[in-house]
Amino acid sequence: MSDLSIQVDSTHPVSIIRVQGEIDVHTCPKLNQVLAQHIASSSQDLVLDLDAIQYIDSTGLGVIAHSARSLSERKGTIRVICTQNQVLKVFELSGLHKKNVVLYKQEADALKDSQ
Amino acid sequence: MSKSHKPVCVEMTIPSSSEFVSVVRLTLSGIAARLNFSVEDIEDLKIAISEACTNAVQHAYEEGSHNTIDLVFNIYSDKLEMIVKDTGKGFNPKDAVSEKDSSGSVDKFGLGLGLTFIKSLMDEAHIESKLGQGTTISMTKYVPQNA
Repeated sequence: MSDLSIQVDSTHPVSIIRVQGEIDVHTCPKLNQVLAQHIASSSQDLVLDLDAIQYIDSTGLGVIAHSARSLSERKGTIRVICTQNQVLKVFELSGLHKKNVVLYKQEADALKDSQ
Repeated sequence: MSKSHKPVCVEMTIPSSSEFVSVVRLTLSGIAARLNFSVEDIEDLKIAISEACTNAVQHAYEEGSHNTIDLVFNIYSDKLEMIVKDTGKGFNPKDAVSEKDSSGSVDKFGLGLGLTFIKSLMDEAHIESKLGQGTTISMTKYVPQNA
């Protein structure tokens, strides 16, 4: 069965949410819950590190798109770390990277742009 | 592996429940690896089969009902055909909301985008759905000639 592990790193000026495992129809509610909790408590930007995930599909992108919309209403941005070609491909196919989500190769760059 | 006109057939039936979608991906990975698909192709196949199963899990049946999804993998020497069939509510494919005109619902984003992924990642994709009778999604990917 698919498994998802999520860690929230609050040691930086903005939170970094690090995800490991598979993001699919079964596990995306867990990611949705963590993102929703963060967005409800802070209007700051959010760094979402997807570099260690093994799988993502439209359900995961749907959660990220929904969260990005909620955060953008509070002037915040979701900054996604991802270097895997397959993950980049699904972002490109979805067109999500052209909207409220900004993609980065490195965490330091995402943190530098965050507010 | 079998000649193109005579496939080896693997069939499986899963409960219409989200936790079994990853089991389908695992099964598919094993089958696709026998066909000399590249790692990238296998990842594309995994997304396509997951999107088809997710569509059935999320939209075919009433929540809490105990229904099933039938899957067929037709393994040819030069291609893999995957069929995902439910006998649920069915839908009009024209009503599938795309990402561009989504009202903001996570579900709608998933449905429209899932079908887009299937069509983008597979060489052939056919969706047949009849209201009240169910949905069948057939997808084919060809093995690269130089594999």
